[in-house]
Amino acid sequence: MTDNQTLAGRVAAVTGGTGGIGKAICQRFLREGASVYALDRATAQLDGVIFVEMDVTSPEQVAAAFAKIEDQSEKLDILVNAAGIEIEKTIEDTSLDEWNQIFAVNVTGTFLASKAGLPLMRKAAGGSIINFGSYDGFIADPGLAAYCATKGAVHALTRAMACDYGPEGIRVNAICPGYIDTPMLQSFFQDNGDIETLEQAVRDVHPMRRYGTSDDVAGLVNWLAGDEARYASGQLWVLDGGLTAQVQQMRL
Amino acid sequence: MTDWSQKTALVTGGSRGIGAAMVAALADLGCHVITCGRGDRPDDLPDAASWVTADVSNEDDIQHLAKHVTNAGGRLDILVNNAGVQVEKTVAESSNDDWDMVMGINAKAVFMLCRQFIPVMASSGGGSIINIGSISGHFSDPSMALYNASKAFVHGLTRSIAVDHGADEVRCNAICPGWIMTGMVDAAFALAEHPVTAEKDALARHAAGRFGQPLDIARAMLFLASDEAAFVTGQTLTVDGGLTAASPIRPELF
Repeated sequence: MTDNQTLAGRVAAVTGGTGGIGKAICQRFLREGASVYALDRATAQLDGVIFVEMDVTSPEQVAAAFAKIEDQSEKLDILVNAAGIEIEKTIEDTSLDEWNQIFAVNVTGTFLASKAGLPLMRKAAGGSIINFGSYDGFIADPGLAAYCATKGAVHALTRAMACDYGPEGIRVNAICPGYIDTPMLQSFFQDNGDIETLEQAVRDVHPMRRYGTSDDVAGLVNWLAGDEARYASGQLWVLDGGLTAQVQQMRL
Repeated sequence: MTDWSQKTALVTGGSRGIGAAMVAALADLGCHVITCGRGDRPDDLPDAASWVTADVSNEDDIQHLAKHVTNAGGRLDILVNNAGVQVEKTVAESSNDDWDMVMGINAKAVFMLCRQFIPVMASSGGGSIINIGSISGHFSDPSMALYNASKAFVHGLTRSIAVDHGADEVRCNAICPGWIMTGMVDAAFALAEHPVTAEKDALARHAAGRFGQPLDIARAMLFLASDEAAFVTGQTLTVDGGLTAASPIRPELF
Protein backbone atom coordinates (compact mmCIF):
# COMPACT_ATOMS: atom_id res chain seq x y z
CA MET A 1 0.00 0.00 0.00
CA THR A 2 1.26 3.46 -0.83
CA ASP A 3 0.13 6.72 0.71
CA ASN A 4 -1.63 8.06 -2.34
CA GLN A 5 -3.94 5.07 -2.82
CA THR A 6 -7.52 6.28 -2.48
CA LEU A 7 -9.31 2.96 -1.96
CA ALA A 8 -7.07 1.13 0.49
CA GLY A 9 -9.06 -1.30 2.61
CA ARG A 10 -12.11 -1.08 0.37
CA VAL A 11 -13.84 -4.05 -1.22
CA ALA A 12 -15.11 -3.56 -4.76
CA ALA A 13 -17.20 -5.69 -7.09
CA VAL A 14 -17.38 -5.03 -10.82
CA THR A 15 -19.97 -6.80 -12.97
CA GLY A 16 -18.89 -7.25 -16.56
CA GLY A 17 -15.39 -7.12 -15.08
CA THR A 18 -13.71 -8.83 -18.01
CA GLY A 19 -15.10 -6.48 -20.67
CA GLY A 20 -13.21 -3.53 -22.14
CA ILE A 21 -14.40 -0.96 -19.60
CA GLY A 22 -14.85 -3.45 -16.73
CA LYS A 23 -11.27 -4.62 -16.95
CA ALA A 24 -9.91 -1.06 -16.89
CA ILE A 25 -12.00 -0.36 -13.78
CA CYS A 26 -10.69 -3.48 -12.04
CA GLN A 27 -7.11 -2.47 -12.83
CA ARG A 28 -7.66 1.05 -11.55
CA PHE A 29 -9.26 -0.17 -8.32
CA LEU A 30 -6.32 -2.53 -7.77
CA ARG A 31 -3.89 0.35 -8.21
CA GLU A 32 -5.86 2.32 -5.63
CA GLY A 33 -5.47 -0.47 -3.10
CA ALA A 34 -8.93 -2.07 -3.14
CA SER A 35 -9.75 -5.77 -3.02
CA VAL A 36 -11.38 -6.36 -6.38
CA TYR A 37 -13.95 -8.93 -7.46
CA ALA A 38 -14.67 -9.21 -11.18
CA LEU A 39 -18.08 -10.78 -11.73
CA ASP A 40 -18.63 -12.01 -15.26
CA ARG A 41 -19.74 -14.94 -17.35
CA ALA A 42 -16.19 -15.54 -18.49
CA THR A 43 -13.11 -15.44 -16.29
CA ALA A 44 -9.84 -13.86 -17.30
CA GLN A 45 -6.34 -13.60 -15.95
CA LEU A 46 -5.63 -10.33 -14.22
CA ASP A 47 -3.11 -10.41 -11.36
CA GLY A 48 -4.69 -9.60 -8.04
CA VAL A 49 -8.30 -9.62 -9.23
CA ILE A 50 -10.62 -12.32 -7.88
CA PHE A 51 -12.77 -13.67 -10.67
CA VAL A 52 -16.20 -15.05 -9.89
CA GLU A 53 -18.23 -16.64 -12.65
CA MET A 54 -21.61 -14.94 -12.65
CA ASP A 55 -24.35 -14.25 -15.17
CA VAL A 56 -26.04 -11.01 -14.03
CA THR A 57 -29.38 -12.23 -15.35
CA SER A 58 -29.41 -15.24 -13.02
CA PRO A 59 -30.70 -14.54 -9.48
CA GLU A 60 -29.09 -17.74 -8.20
CA GLN A 61 -25.67 -16.97 -9.65
CA VAL A 62 -25.81 -13.37 -8.40
CA ALA A 63 -26.73 -14.54 -4.90
CA ALA A 64 -23.92 -17.09 -4.94
CA ALA A 65 -21.35 -14.55 -6.12
CA PHE A 66 -22.20 -12.03 -3.40
CA ALA A 67 -22.25 -14.84 -0.79
CA LYS A 68 -18.72 -15.58 -1.84
CA ILE A 69 -17.72 -11.93 -1.40
CA GLU A 70 -19.32 -11.98 2.05
CA ASP A 71 -17.44 -15.15 2.99
CA GLN A 72 -14.09 -13.82 1.89
CA SER A 73 -14.32 -10.09 2.65
CA GLU A 74 -17.34 -9.69 4.97
CA LYS A 75 -18.45 -6.43 3.40
CA LEU A 76 -18.70 -4.49 0.16
CA ASP A 77 -17.82 -0.80 -0.26
CA ILE A 78 -18.10 -0.35 -4.01
CA LEU A 79 -20.35 -1.94 -6.62
CA VAL A 80 -19.91 -1.13 -10.30
CA ASN A 81 -22.70 -2.40 -12.54
CA ALA A 82 -20.74 -2.45 -15.80
CA ALA A 83 -22.21 -5.56 -17.43
CA GLY A 84 -24.05 -4.54 -20.58
CA ILE A 85 -24.92 -5.59 -24.10
CA GLU A 86 -26.05 -3.76 -27.21
CA ILE A 87 -28.50 -4.76 -29.93
CA GLU A 88 -28.17 -2.77 -33.14
CA LYS A 89 -31.75 -2.78 -34.36
CA THR A 90 -34.88 -0.70 -34.65
CA ILE A 91 -37.87 -1.92 -32.64
CA GLU A 92 -39.48 -3.58 -35.66
CA ASP A 93 -36.34 -5.61 -36.25
CA THR A 94 -35.98 -6.50 -32.56
CA SER A 95 -37.53 -9.79 -31.50
CA LEU A 96 -39.23 -10.08 -28.12
CA ASP A 97 -36.46 -12.48 -27.04
CA GLU A 98 -33.82 -9.91 -27.93
CA TRP A 99 -35.76 -7.18 -26.12
CA ASN A 100 -36.05 -9.36 -23.01
CA GLN A 101 -32.39 -10.33 -23.23
CA ILE A 102 -31.03 -6.78 -23.32
CA PHE A 103 -33.32 -5.70 -20.49
CA ALA A 104 -32.26 -8.78 -18.53
CA VAL A 105 -28.58 -7.83 -18.75
CA ASN A 106 -28.63 -4.02 -18.70
CA VAL A 107 -31.55 -3.38 -16.32
CA THR A 108 -32.41 -6.56 -14.41
CA GLY A 109 -28.68 -7.25 -13.99
CA THR A 110 -28.22 -3.85 -12.34
CA PHE A 111 -31.26 -4.54 -10.16
CA LEU A 112 -30.13 -8.02 -9.08
CA ALA A 113 -26.52 -7.13 -8.35
CA SER A 114 -27.54 -4.00 -6.42
CA LYS A 115 -30.12 -5.95 -4.43
CA ALA A 116 -27.51 -8.52 -3.49
CA GLY A 117 -24.81 -5.93 -2.81
CA LEU A 118 -26.80 -3.58 -0.56
CA PRO A 119 -26.79 -5.82 2.58
CA LEU A 120 -23.00 -6.07 2.26
CA MET A 121 -22.73 -2.29 1.96
CA ARG A 122 -24.67 -1.90 5.20
CA LYS A 123 -21.97 -4.01 6.81
CA ALA A 124 -19.45 -1.51 5.50
CA ALA A 125 -21.62 1.29 6.98
CA GLY A 126 -22.02 2.95 3.61
CA GLY A 127 -20.84 2.61 0.06
CA SER A 128 -20.94 3.69 -3.53
CA ILE A 129 -22.88 2.08 -6.36
CA ILE A 130 -21.91 3.11 -9.88
CA ASN A 131 -24.32 2.14 -12.63
CA PHE A 132 -23.71 2.31 -16.35
CA GLY A 133 -26.12 4.55 -18.16
CA SER A 134 -25.24 6.10 -21.49
CA TYR A 135 -25.56 9.35 -23.34
CA ASP A 136 -27.97 7.19 -25.37
CA GLY A 137 -30.30 7.38 -22.37
CA PHE A 138 -30.74 11.08 -23.17
CA ILE A 139 -30.58 11.21 -26.96
CA ALA A 140 -30.89 8.44 -29.50
CA ASP A 141 -28.53 6.73 -31.89
CA PRO A 142 -30.33 5.31 -34.89
CA GLY A 143 -30.96 1.57 -34.86
CA LEU A 144 -30.23 1.14 -31.14
CA ALA A 145 -33.78 1.39 -29.81
CA ALA A 146 -33.80 -1.28 -27.11
CA TYR A 147 -30.33 -0.22 -25.93
CA CYS A 148 -31.44 3.41 -25.59
CA ALA A 149 -34.49 2.27 -23.62
CA THR A 150 -32.43 0.15 -21.20
CA LYS A 151 -30.13 3.07 -20.50
CA GLY A 152 -33.05 5.39 -19.82
CA ALA A 153 -34.28 2.78 -17.32
CA VAL A 154 -30.87 2.68 -15.63
CA HIS A 155 -30.90 6.47 -15.30
CA ALA A 156 -34.28 6.45 -13.54
CA LEU A 157 -33.25 3.49 -11.36
CA THR A 158 -30.09 5.36 -10.35
CA ARG A 159 -32.04 8.34 -9.06
CA ALA A 160 -34.56 6.10 -7.30
CA MET A 161 -31.86 4.06 -5.55
CA ALA A 162 -30.05 7.25 -4.52
CA CYS A 163 -33.25 8.47 -2.84
CA ASP A 164 -33.87 5.17 -1.09
CA TYR A 165 -30.38 4.47 0.23
CA GLY A 166 -28.96 7.95 0.78
CA PRO A 167 -30.09 7.91 4.43
CA GLU A 168 -27.84 4.89 5.00
CA GLY A 169 -24.78 6.58 3.52
CA ILE A 170 -24.98 4.65 0.28
CA ARG A 171 -24.40 6.82 -2.76
CA VAL A 172 -25.72 5.82 -6.18
CA ASN A 173 -24.58 7.43 -9.41
CA ALA A 174 -24.53 6.52 -13.08
CA ILE A 175 -21.82 7.15 -15.63
CA CYS A 176 -23.15 7.96 -19.08
CA PRO A 177 -20.34 7.36 -21.53
CA GLY A 178 -20.37 8.73 -25.03
CA TYR A 179 -18.12 7.07 -27.58
CA ILE A 180 -15.55 4.91 -25.80
CA ASP A 181 -13.09 2.84 -27.79
CA THR A 182 -14.37 -0.65 -26.98
CA PRO A 183 -15.35 -3.73 -28.98
CA MET A 184 -18.97 -2.51 -28.69
CA LEU A 185 -18.11 0.74 -30.46
CA GLN A 186 -16.11 -1.04 -33.15
CA SER A 187 -19.11 -3.26 -33.78
CA PHE A 188 -21.37 -0.20 -34.14
CA PHE A 189 -19.01 1.25 -36.78
CA GLN A 190 -18.56 -2.03 -38.61
CA ASP A 191 -22.02 -1.89 -40.11
CA ASN A 192 -21.44 1.50 -41.69
CA GLY A 193 -18.58 1.03 -44.10
CA ASP A 194 -14.91 1.83 -43.95
CA ILE A 195 -13.89 2.00 -40.32
CA GLU A 196 -10.76 4.12 -40.83
CA THR A 197 -12.76 6.93 -42.41
CA LEU A 198 -15.49 6.64 -39.85
CA GLU A 199 -13.05 6.80 -36.97
CA GLN A 200 -11.56 10.04 -38.26
CA ALA A 201 -15.01 11.51 -38.82
CA VAL A 202 -16.10 10.49 -35.35
CA ARG A 203 -13.00 12.05 -33.79
CA ASP A 204 -13.65 15.26 -35.69
CA VAL A 205 -17.17 15.62 -34.34
CA HIS A 206 -15.91 15.63 -30.74
CA PRO A 207 -14.80 18.95 -29.23
CA MET A 208 -11.87 17.03 -27.71
CA ARG A 209 -11.08 15.58 -31.16
CA ARG A 210 -10.87 12.04 -29.90
CA TYR A 211 -13.15 9.46 -28.45
CA GLY A 212 -12.83 8.12 -24.97
CA THR A 213 -10.82 5.20 -23.63
CA SER A 214 -11.67 2.67 -20.97
CA ASP A 215 -9.13 4.40 -18.72
CA ASP A 216 -11.05 7.67 -19.07
CA VAL A 217 -14.12 5.87 -17.75
CA ALA A 218 -12.15 4.16 -14.98
CA GLY A 219 -10.95 7.59 -13.83
CA LEU A 220 -14.49 8.85 -13.25
CA VAL A 221 -15.58 5.54 -11.69
CA ASN A 222 -12.64 5.76 -9.31
CA TRP A 223 -13.61 9.28 -8.27
CA LEU A 224 -17.23 8.32 -7.70
CA ALA A 225 -16.14 5.25 -5.73
CA GLY A 226 -13.92 7.20 -3.35
CA ASP A 227 -14.30 9.65 -0.50
CA GLU A 228 -13.57 12.70 -2.67
CA ALA A 229 -17.08 12.18 -4.09
CA ARG A 230 -18.72 11.81 -0.67
CA TYR A 231 -21.50 14.34 -1.48
CA ALA A 232 -22.12 13.10 -5.03
CA SER A 233 -25.26 11.00 -5.37
CA GLY A 234 -28.23 10.50 -7.65
CA GLN A 235 -26.47 12.04 -10.63
CA LEU A 236 -26.01 11.00 -14.23
CA TRP A 237 -22.43 11.82 -15.13
CA VAL A 238 -22.05 12.30 -18.86
CA LEU A 239 -18.50 11.47 -20.00
CA ASP A 240 -18.27 12.18 -23.70
CA GLY A 241 -15.46 14.63 -24.46
CA GLY A 242 -18.00 17.41 -24.90
CA LEU A 243 -19.88 15.59 -27.68
CA THR A 244 -23.37 16.32 -26.39
CA ALA A 245 -22.58 19.86 -25.24
CA GLN A 246 -22.89 20.91 -28.85
CA VAL A 247 -25.78 21.13 -31.22
CA GLN A 248 -25.52 18.38 -33.86
CA GLN A 249 -22.53 19.17 -35.99
CA MET A 250 -23.44 19.50 -39.62
CA ARG A 251 -20.62 19.15 -42.15
CA LEU A 252 -20.01 22.84 -42.58
CA MET B 1 -61.75 27.89 -26.26
CA THR B 2 -59.66 30.98 -26.59
CA ASP B 3 -61.47 34.14 -27.64
CA TRP B 4 -58.63 35.71 -29.59
CA SER B 5 -60.66 38.80 -30.51
CA GLN B 6 -60.50 39.86 -26.86
CA LYS B 7 -56.73 39.62 -26.70
CA THR B 8 -53.96 42.11 -27.38
CA ALA B 9 -50.51 40.83 -28.28
CA LEU B 10 -47.12 42.50 -28.61
CA VAL B 11 -44.60 40.65 -30.76
CA THR B 12 -41.09 42.10 -30.98
CA GLY B 13 -39.10 41.73 -34.19
CA GLY B 14 -42.16 41.18 -36.35
CA SER B 15 -40.81 42.39 -39.68
CA ARG B 16 -39.56 39.06 -40.99
CA GLY B 17 -38.91 35.39 -40.34
CA ILE B 18 -40.42 33.84 -37.23
CA GLY B 19 -41.72 37.17 -35.94
CA ALA B 20 -43.63 37.92 -39.15
CA ALA B 21 -45.18 34.45 -39.10
CA MET B 22 -46.33 34.96 -35.52
CA VAL B 23 -47.82 38.37 -36.28
CA ALA B 24 -49.72 36.89 -39.23
CA ALA B 25 -50.94 33.89 -37.21
CA LEU B 26 -52.26 36.07 -34.39
CA ALA B 27 -53.84 38.58 -36.80
CA ASP B 28 -55.56 35.74 -38.70
CA LEU B 29 -57.26 34.68 -35.47
CA GLY B 30 -58.57 38.19 -34.89
CA CYS B 31 -56.13 39.07 -32.14
CA HIS B 32 -55.12 42.72 -31.86
CA VAL B 33 -51.41 42.61 -32.70
CA ILE B 34 -48.78 45.24 -32.12
CA THR B 35 -45.33 44.56 -33.47
CA CYS B 36 -42.09 46.47 -33.70
CA GLY B 37 -38.70 46.59 -35.32
CA ARG B 38 -35.86 48.96 -35.92
CA GLY B 39 -36.95 49.86 -39.46
CA ASP B 40 -40.08 51.26 -41.04
CA ARG B 41 -43.37 49.37 -41.25
CA PRO B 42 -42.82 46.45 -43.68
CA ASP B 43 -45.03 46.50 -46.78
CA ASP B 44 -46.25 42.95 -46.24
CA LEU B 45 -47.34 43.41 -42.61
CA PRO B 46 -51.01 42.41 -42.23
CA ASP B 47 -53.25 45.49 -42.28
CA ALA B 48 -54.74 44.57 -38.92
CA ALA B 49 -51.35 44.70 -37.19
CA SER B 50 -50.00 47.92 -35.68
CA TRP B 51 -46.36 48.79 -36.28
CA VAL B 52 -44.11 50.71 -33.92
CA THR B 53 -40.58 51.58 -34.96
CA ALA B 54 -38.52 50.70 -31.92
CA ASP B 55 -35.15 49.30 -30.88
CA VAL B 56 -36.06 47.04 -27.96
CA SER B 57 -32.59 47.34 -26.45
CA ASN B 58 -33.32 51.04 -25.88
CA GLU B 59 -35.22 51.99 -22.72
CA ASP B 60 -36.79 55.09 -24.34
CA ASP B 61 -38.15 52.95 -27.17
CA ILE B 62 -39.71 50.59 -24.64
CA GLN B 63 -41.49 53.53 -23.04
CA HIS B 64 -42.67 54.44 -26.53
CA LEU B 65 -44.05 50.90 -26.96
CA ALA B 66 -45.71 51.09 -23.53
CA LYS B 67 -47.42 54.33 -24.54
CA HIS B 68 -48.68 52.63 -27.68
CA VAL B 69 -50.14 49.77 -25.64
CA THR B 70 -51.80 52.27 -23.31
CA ASN B 71 -53.30 54.16 -26.24
CA ALA B 72 -54.55 50.90 -27.75
CA GLY B 73 -56.69 50.15 -24.69
CA GLY B 74 -54.16 49.62 -21.94
CA ARG B 75 -54.25 45.84 -21.74
CA LEU B 76 -51.72 43.28 -22.86
CA ASP B 77 -52.53 39.58 -22.86
CA ILE B 78 -49.64 38.18 -24.87
CA LEU B 79 -46.03 39.33 -25.01
CA VAL B 80 -43.76 37.54 -27.45
CA ASN B 81 -40.08 38.40 -27.05
CA ASN B 82 -38.88 37.36 -30.44
CA ALA B 83 -36.39 40.02 -31.54
CA GLY B 84 -32.90 38.55 -31.66
CA VAL B 85 -29.51 38.87 -33.26
CA GLN B 86 -26.49 36.62 -33.59
CA VAL B 87 -22.77 37.25 -33.85
CA GLU B 88 -20.75 34.35 -35.23
CA LYS B 89 -17.68 34.49 -33.03
CA THR B 90 -15.93 32.63 -30.23
CA VAL B 91 -15.38 34.33 -26.86
CA ALA B 92 -11.77 35.12 -27.79
CA GLU B 93 -12.93 36.93 -30.94
CA SER B 94 -15.86 38.81 -29.41
CA SER B 95 -15.58 42.50 -28.59
CA ASN B 96 -17.42 44.44 -25.92
CA ASP B 97 -19.49 45.97 -28.70
CA ASP B 98 -20.52 42.45 -29.77
CA TRP B 99 -21.53 41.76 -26.17
CA ASP B 100 -23.54 44.97 -25.93
CA MET B 101 -25.38 44.23 -29.16
CA VAL B 102 -26.15 40.53 -28.57
CA MET B 103 -26.93 40.84 -24.89
CA GLY B 104 -28.71 44.15 -25.41
CA ILE B 105 -31.25 42.72 -27.82
CA ASN B 106 -31.39 39.02 -26.84
CA ALA B 107 -31.19 39.45 -23.07
CA LYS B 108 -31.56 42.99 -21.70
CA ALA B 109 -34.50 43.80 -23.98
CA VAL B 110 -36.35 40.69 -22.81
CA PHE B 111 -35.77 41.75 -19.22
CA MET B 112 -36.89 45.35 -19.85
CA LEU B 113 -40.01 44.35 -21.79
CA CYS B 114 -41.05 41.82 -19.15
CA ARG B 115 -40.44 44.39 -16.40
CA GLN B 116 -42.54 46.90 -18.30
CA PHE B 117 -45.48 44.66 -19.12
CA ILE B 118 -45.80 42.16 -16.23
CA PRO B 119 -47.64 44.76 -14.10
CA VAL B 120 -49.86 45.61 -17.08
CA MET B 121 -50.78 41.93 -17.48
CA ALA B 122 -51.25 41.46 -13.74
CA SER B 123 -53.61 44.44 -13.53
CA SER B 124 -55.93 43.00 -16.16
CA GLY B 125 -56.18 39.45 -14.87
CA GLY B 126 -52.98 37.93 -16.18
CA GLY B 127 -51.31 37.07 -19.43
CA SER B 128 -48.86 34.87 -21.28
CA ILE B 129 -45.25 35.76 -22.01
CA ILE B 130 -43.53 33.70 -24.68
CA ASN B 131 -39.79 34.16 -25.02
CA ILE B 132 -37.89 32.83 -27.96
CA GLY B 133 -35.00 30.82 -26.56
CA SER B 134 -33.06 28.34 -28.64
CA ILE B 135 -31.74 24.80 -28.69
CA SER B 136 -28.42 26.69 -28.63
CA GLY B 137 -29.26 27.72 -25.06
CA HIS B 138 -29.13 24.04 -24.13
CA PHE B 139 -26.38 22.82 -26.46
CA SER B 140 -23.70 24.99 -28.00
CA ASP B 141 -23.30 25.96 -31.61
CA PRO B 142 -19.63 26.51 -32.42
CA SER B 143 -18.49 30.13 -32.84
CA MET B 144 -21.77 31.49 -31.47
CA ALA B 145 -20.60 32.03 -27.91
CA LEU B 146 -22.53 35.15 -26.95
CA TYR B 147 -25.65 34.04 -28.81
CA ASN B 148 -25.63 30.66 -27.02
CA ALA B 149 -25.16 32.41 -23.67
CA SER B 150 -27.89 34.96 -24.36
CA LYS B 151 -30.38 32.18 -25.04
CA ALA B 152 -29.44 30.35 -21.84
CA PHE B 153 -30.18 33.65 -20.08
CA VAL B 154 -33.62 33.70 -21.70
CA HIS B 155 -34.34 30.18 -20.43
CA GLY B 156 -33.34 31.13 -16.90
CA LEU B 157 -35.34 34.36 -16.92
CA THR B 158 -38.36 32.46 -18.23
CA ARG B 159 -38.37 30.18 -15.19
CA SER B 160 -37.82 33.09 -12.80
CA ILE B 161 -40.76 35.04 -14.16
CA ALA B 162 -42.97 31.97 -14.01
CA VAL B 163 -42.03 31.41 -10.39
CA ASP B 164 -42.28 35.04 -9.27
CA HIS B 165 -45.41 36.11 -11.12
CA GLY B 166 -47.48 32.95 -11.34
CA ALA B 167 -49.69 34.19 -8.51
CA ASP B 168 -50.70 37.14 -10.70
CA GLU B 169 -51.80 34.71 -13.44
CA VAL B 170 -48.84 35.71 -15.56
CA ARG B 171 -47.50 32.63 -17.31
CA CYS B 172 -44.07 32.62 -18.91
CA ASN B 173 -42.66 29.99 -21.25
CA ALA B 174 -39.90 29.82 -23.83
CA ILE B 175 -39.85 28.18 -27.23
CA CYS B 176 -36.53 26.69 -28.31
CA PRO B 177 -36.52 26.58 -32.10
CA GLY B 178 -34.07 24.35 -33.91
CA TRP B 179 -33.15 25.05 -37.51
CA ILE B 180 -35.91 27.23 -38.88
CA MET B 181 -35.50 28.35 -42.47
CA THR B 182 -34.96 32.06 -42.02
CA GLY B 183 -32.34 34.49 -43.20
CA MET B 184 -30.28 33.59 -40.14
CA VAL B 185 -30.02 29.93 -41.20
CA ASP B 186 -29.32 30.80 -44.83
CA ALA B 187 -26.41 32.88 -43.58
CA ALA B 188 -25.08 29.89 -41.63
CA PHE B 189 -25.18 27.65 -44.71
CA ALA B 190 -23.58 30.35 -46.82
CA LEU B 191 -20.56 30.19 -44.50
CA ALA B 192 -20.16 26.46 -45.17
CA GLU B 193 -17.33 25.17 -47.31
CA HIS B 194 -19.80 23.19 -49.42
CA PRO B 195 -23.20 24.82 -48.87
CA VAL B 196 -25.16 22.19 -50.83
CA THR B 197 -23.57 19.23 -49.03
CA ALA B 198 -23.99 21.01 -45.73
CA GLU B 199 -27.68 21.51 -46.30
CA LYS B 200 -28.18 17.88 -47.36
CA ASP B 201 -26.33 16.64 -44.28
CA ALA B 202 -28.26 18.94 -41.98
CA LEU B 203 -31.54 17.72 -43.41
CA ALA B 204 -30.64 14.08 -42.75
CA ARG B 205 -30.25 14.92 -39.06
CA HIS B 206 -33.89 15.93 -38.69
CA ALA B 207 -36.23 13.13 -37.66
CA ALA B 208 -39.04 15.13 -39.25
CA GLY B 209 -37.27 14.91 -42.63
CA ARG B 210 -37.42 18.66 -43.17
CA PHE B 211 -36.23 21.92 -41.70
CA GLY B 212 -38.55 24.02 -39.62
CA GLN B 213 -40.66 26.81 -41.02
CA PRO B 214 -41.50 30.03 -39.18
CA LEU B 215 -45.11 28.77 -39.03
CA ASP B 216 -43.98 25.79 -36.92
CA ILE B 217 -42.82 28.22 -34.24
CA ALA B 218 -45.89 30.41 -34.66
CA ARG B 219 -48.11 27.40 -33.97
CA ALA B 220 -46.21 26.55 -30.80
CA MET B 221 -46.55 30.19 -29.74
CA LEU B 222 -50.31 30.09 -30.34
CA PHE B 223 -50.63 27.10 -28.03
CA LEU B 224 -48.64 28.77 -25.26
CA ALA B 225 -50.57 32.02 -25.71
CA SER B 226 -53.94 30.29 -25.68
CA ASP B 227 -56.20 29.41 -22.78
CA GLU B 228 -55.51 25.76 -23.63
CA ALA B 229 -52.11 26.24 -22.00
CA ALA B 230 -53.56 27.71 -18.79
CA PHE B 231 -51.49 25.38 -16.56
CA VAL B 232 -48.28 25.54 -18.62
CA THR B 233 -45.66 27.85 -17.16
CA GLY B 234 -41.92 28.00 -16.62
CA GLN B 235 -41.19 25.60 -19.46
CA THR B 236 -38.86 25.55 -22.42
CA LEU B 237 -40.58 23.91 -25.36
CA THR B 238 -38.19 22.58 -27.99
CA VAL B 239 -39.53 22.71 -31.54
CA ASP B 240 -36.76 21.28 -33.70
CA GLY B 241 -38.14 18.38 -35.76
CA GLY B 242 -36.31 15.90 -33.53
CA LEU B 243 -32.83 17.32 -34.14
CA THR B 244 -31.71 17.32 -30.51
CA ALA B 245 -33.37 13.97 -29.76
CA ALA B 246 -30.74 12.30 -31.93
CA SER B 247 -27.10 11.60 -31.27
CA PRO B 248 -24.65 13.97 -33.00
CA ILE B 249 -22.81 11.01 -34.48
CA ARG B 250 -24.42 9.45 -37.50
CA PRO B 251 -21.91 7.02 -39.01
CA GLU B 252 -24.14 6.53 -42.05
CA LEU B 253 -23.72 10.22 -42.91
CA PHE B 254 -19.92 10.24 -42.83
